[in-house]
Amino acid sequence: MKIARSRAGYPAIFFFTVLIAALLSVSCAKKEDRIGIFVYNETDPFMQVFTSQILAAAQGSFNTKVFYADNSQLIQNEQIEKMLAERPALMMINPVDRLGSFAIIRKMKAANIPVIFFNREPLVQDLALWDKTYYVGARAAQSGQMQAELVMALFGGDSARLNQYDKNHDGKIQTIILKGEQGHQDAETRTSEVLRSFESRNFHIEVLAMEVANWAHDEAYTKMGRLLGKYQNKIELIISNNDDMALGAIAQMRQMGVFRDTNGNGRIDRFDTNWIPVVGIDGLQEAEASISEGYLYGTVKNDSLSMAKTMIELANAILGHTDFSRLSVPLKDGKYIWIDYKPYVSRY
Amino acid sequence: MSIGMNIFVMTLVIVSAILMLTSVVFLAVFSNLIDDSVETQANEINKQIVMNFEGYINSVIETANYIQFASINMDVGKDSAALDELYRMNTEIKKDVVAIFLFDSAGRRLAGPAIDFSLGGNVGKCAWFKSAQKLTEIYNFSTEQGSSIADAKDEQVVSVSKSVDFIQNGRETNGVLLIELNYDALTSLAKKTNLGEYGHLLILNDQGKLLYSSEPDPSPMTALSAPIASEIFLGSRKATLNRTDMFINVNTLIQTRWLIATVSNINEIKNAMNRIAFILLVIFFIAIGISALVAGLISLRVSQPINQLKKAMLTIEGGDFSAPIKVSGQKEIVALAHSFDSMVRKVQELMSSLVSQQREKRKMELQVLQNQINPHFLYNTLDSIVWLAEHHRNKDVITTVVSLAHFFRISISKGEIFIPVEDEIFHVQSYLTIQSIRYMNKFSYTVNIDENLKKLRVMKLILQPLVENAIYHGIGDEEGEIDISGTIEGDFLVFRVRNSGYGITESTIREMYDTMHGGHDRPSIGIRNVYQRLKLYYGDQADIAVSSVQDESTTVTLFIPKEIQAEEQL
Repeated sequence: MKIARSRAGYPAIFFFTVLIAALLSVSCAKKEDRIGIFVYNETDPFMQVFTSQILAAAQGSFNTKVFYADNSQLIQNEQIEKMLAERPALMMINPVDRLGSFAIIRKMKAANIPVIFFNREPLVQDLALWDKTYYVGARAAQSGQMQAELVMALFGGDSARLNQYDKNHDGKIQTIILKGEQGHQDAETRTSEVLRSFESRNFHIEVLAMEVANWAHDEAYTKMGRLLGKYQNKIELIISNNDDMALGAIAQMRQMGVFRDTNGNGRIDRFDTNWIPVVGIDGLQEAEASISEGYLYGTVKNDSLSMAKTMIELANAILGHTDFSRLSVPLKDGKYIWIDYKPYVSRY
Repeated sequence: MSIGMNIFVMTLVIVSAILMLTSVVFLAVFSNLIDDSVETQANEINKQIVMNFEGYINSVIETANYIQFASINMDVGKDSAALDELYRMNTEIKKDVVAIFLFDSAGRRLAGPAIDFSLGGNVGKCAWFKSAQKLTEIYNFSTEQGSSIADAKDEQVVSVSKSVDFIQNGRETNGVLLIELNYDALTSLAKKTNLGEYGHLLILNDQGKLLYSSEPDPSPMTALSAPIASEIFLGSRKATLNRTDMFINVNTLIQTRWLIATVSNINEIKNAMNRIAFILLVIFFIAIGISALVAGLISLRVSQPINQLKKAMLTIEGGDFSAPIKVSGQKEIVALAHSFDSMVRKVQELMSSLVSQQREKRKMELQVLQNQINPHFLYNTLDSIVWLAEHHRNKDVITTVVSLAHFFRISISKGEIFIPVEDEIFHVQSYLTIQSIRYMNKFSYTVNIDENLKKLRVMKLILQPLVENAIYHGIGDEEGEIDISGTIEGDFLVFRVRNSGYGITESTIREMYDTMHGGHDRPSIGIRNVYQRLKLYYGDQADIAVSSVQDESTTVTLFIPKEIQAEEQL
């Protein structure tokens, strides 16, 4: 009886062994390292594009899961904790509060899950807490410098002999600065860097007004109305901390009739006499469109595509799939990958 | 195990197993739900508190930003009065702000109220000042200063310091902005929330060091919760502090590099859980009790009639058919009992009719046996009467005829089967009288009957065949003797018929017994007739014994049980 039963059992055991082996092999073949991606806010258009670029780059090599924190560090903390329970291979975090990153890093260290921060840089001292924390981003300072370079090129490149864009020929550039957010690190850095770059090349900038428009199109639009009324024809340059505010300002300027085809070439461009150069940062699609239409002079592109690709390369290197030496952008100080901004102006 | 016990035990086992399973599953699911909701609730409370703090911190940052923004185009040197006014106004507008200062990089006061004299020129050595210079891009929150550095104020403060750029006398320079916040205003945010008994709020710095606890002094819980909060650092955990269940939730506080830990009491929920478990237990036992009762009743209802039936059956098995079968309870079994009862009654009827049939049959048999009186005796007697008459022995004729008359009268006895012993003796004597005349006094006889015996009744015609036998076998050439006796010996009436003579051999005695027990017909058909009649009526105890002394005598003894008396039973 016993013998008979155990004999009858063999086919069943064999069957299950094959089944389990098949399942295992399928799951092995399909197994991709899981990555949690945490974005500070879903409504930020730049972050929307950036996130989709990361997901596209991750396609095929990682199993990704995206969380949007609705601009609350509390929600992000909660999301990170939830994701930690699923033991992902790695996390990519765009922190809401850069100062809160120390807690996240300690948490990751305890769980031994490497983390790549992106687009908002934690404090140096916090990143130093653990060797498996990385940062991928652009230097805010560089964006300011490039903005200044674009402007200086437009004005002839020689501080002693400014060209026709110095409308009143006083050797100074009368400027309005649209600041992102008072106290915001990027706003402060971009503003101070653009001014410092002009200074270092002896370009004389006269700041007619510095207006805080909180990164927003509509706020810039409103504030620009007042500024145009106040300074009328004095304005020779508008520097904006981002594209959105620059586009807001342009919308107001168009409405107030600043842009006119004075030379009759059938289009708006920098050769029109009353044209005022506006420069932004970020390289939004709308900004590119505005540049091709001739309104916006130029922007400094935050190269999110390169960042996204580099982040995935870095993730592969951290997880041992490739070597760090094969990264398309070299790792600095063992932690940082800096992606250069790209200047973008019209062809004319 | 009896059927009743089986039903009882099985019902209980099934009911308690189901109840147990249900209770355990319910408790498990419920406690899971409770745990989840406790966690969610604690998280929500923590978030709410942190959001309150965030709102407060953001408003402070906004003030700081506003001050910077408003003074963006001011020259600290030239517009110092306007700057002082801006600071003073903001201090007044925001009631939580104790004082606002601007210091140059060496710690000299550029704007704000007068500084505490004792601090003098040592502002540069303050912790908040050094951290602002070290971490230039952020607002530094610190509690280390204690009381306000303003001369006119001494309330406890939180120092918010930041490195700022400004223009002093046309030259761009760098210094430290300090905003002092009322410590109580900040911590009062913590007191608005109900975290349950012993629940409290902790603020830790980025090193996990305790900055503040909302627990009133002395704070026994804080000593336990602070290390745990510092260990969690970010996230949540359940912990038991001083035998109280607490849920500890740690979050970062925006802009400050501080951690806020809420320690909420979840003991009450656990108590509720215990109460539910207790209620379940009570329900469990009540249900068990009720089902035990019901199971017991059902099992009794089923098993009691069965047991009654069983008992009745045992009684009947013991031979007592008379007891009525009384069964009550489950109707099927009652019906069964009824059927059984009617069957028993039927059997009883059948048996009694069988008994009466048997009795009739026995009566018939007895009568048949009693009628087997040797007819030769009548012929012989009539011959001897004729012979006596021819010889003119009238007296003997008379005696013989009278005796014969007696003999037959008693033989018939009005058809009765049982007659008094004295009648039986008289019958034998009549016979002996006839025979002694016929055999011309070739034998003598004696009759000795116990007086007590005479009135008792015995089956009739039991002695005559034995006497007949004694005459035929015992009378030879010499004059014989026949002794008849009747006594009571113990439980028996004993009748002996002894005759003198040569006696008989053992083998003859054996032959006689064989004959009595139904063997061949010869030689003692008379004894067999008596024996069979005795057995028929008196049963096994009645017996006939034959004994003999060689060359002397032969004795046949009848044993009749005294108990079974002739009460016209047949």
